Amino acid sequence: MNCDDVRDQLPDYWTGAMDEAAKSAMQSHFASCAACRAESETLGAIWKKLGAIPEERPSRALRARFEATLEAYVQGLRQAERGPSTREKLDKWLVGWWPREPVFQFGFAMAFLAIGLLVGYSLTRNTQDSGEVARLREEVQHTRELVALSLLQEQSASERLKGVDWSIRVPQPDPQVLSALLRTVDYDQNVNVRLAALDALHSSASNEMVRQGLLQSLQRQTSPLVQIALIDLLVDIRDKDAANSLKGLAQESGVNPEVRVRADWALRQLQ
Amino acid sequence: MEAQPDQAVMLAVRDGDVEQIGVLFERHHRMLFNFFLRLTANRGLSEDLVQDVFFRMLKYRQTFQAGTNFTSWMYQIARNAHIDQARKRRLEVVPDDEAAWDSVASAEADPQERLEQAQEIRLLRRALDRLPLEKREVLVLSRFQNLKYSEIAEVLGCEVGAVKVRVFRAVRELGQIFLELSGEKAS
Repeated sequence: MNCDDVRDQLPDYWTGAMDEAAKSAMQSHFASCAACRAESETLGAIWKKLGAIPEERPSRALRARFEATLEAYVQGLRQAERGPSTREKLDKWLVGWWPREPVFQFGFAMAFLAIGLLVGYSLTRNTQDSGEVARLREEVQHTRELVALSLLQEQSASERLKGVDWSIRVPQPDPQVLSALLRTVDYDQNVNVRLAALDALHSSASNEMVRQGLLQSLQRQTSPLVQIALIDLLVDIRDKDAANSLKGLAQESGVNPEVRVRADWALRQLQ
Repeated sequence: MEAQPDQAVMLAVRDGDVEQIGVLFERHHRMLFNFFLRLTANRGLSEDLVQDVFFRMLKYRQTFQAGTNFTSWMYQIARNAHIDQARKRRLEVVPDDEAAWDSVASAEADPQERLEQAQEIRLLRRALDRLPLEKREVLVLSRFQNLKYSEIAEVLGCEVGAVKVRVFRAVRELGQIFLELSGEKAS
């Protein structure tokens, strides 16, 4: 037995897991090798001392926690065991409904698609009615009005045209926008802008303020193009109150002949 | 009625009698607690790990084959639980003050002897805490958990001869640390 063998055997020697023959072989080596003897004694002492470290007790909470968790685990397990059987039943039931023929399968799929679309459609309609969308819409309208109003103040005629264009995008313009458009019809230097403003007012012509404004405008206008457009509009909205102004226009000598003819025609339309 | 061996109980657990795990808890929780306490020196953590081991046993109960050595299997799980936990905390040891060790010396010795013994045990524990984890592990398994070298070899996944070499080296290093600590104390 050499020193390496002895080292390998030391753990067995300490634990006593060694037969007598091996033990006496170790001891005879120690008798002749002081280094191994010393090492065995020192380390053997450490090994023995370790045995003096007492065992500790865990707290009582450990058992309580274990039992509680085990109970929860077992319950969960039982539920999981029950689970598949109900699911299997459901699966079977569902399979019973599913047609075997591909044509009917296709029909089924189409029907569900249609139902899905319907549901989706009705859902989105509902959400459109919700407050948030309404608020958003209001905000957009407000922004458009602001844009329209500020553009109508611009120097450049094309910018003012854009302003009129924006005012059309406001579904129900407020009085501020409408009076700005009326002002444009009355006073804008550019005929094109005036015509565009007139067009923009068409949809709001039922508004009393607009109607009055247009009637007054008929007397103010000097451009034949705008006059004719105004006359057409008044006919369109069948404004009976326009008759007097139209009569005046038809008989006034300073007015463009074509405008007079148009006014005459309008009078007949309104009667 | 004679108590069933661990292996038979674990097979029953595997085959659906899950509540039988309580029997194994009764038998082993204290040993496992001491195993973790010696590795971590932290009572709370050790209790968490004991709990973890028993629920891992449930989780992996299907892997328990007839003929498996239950003790080795349990310590394999325990070791993995500890490794996972250490990785989670990114620490090998969660140091705890000496309050982790409540009972210190045997009550029979006379006061002077008891004091000396208590000091020695305290030093040994500090020396153990300073031992690298792999050496501490093999030493704890062989000295405190009373595992046979063949069982330790199964737990660590190595040869019996290698286990003995590791135990020898662990004891030698522990002895050196213990001597250093005693020297510090004496000087």
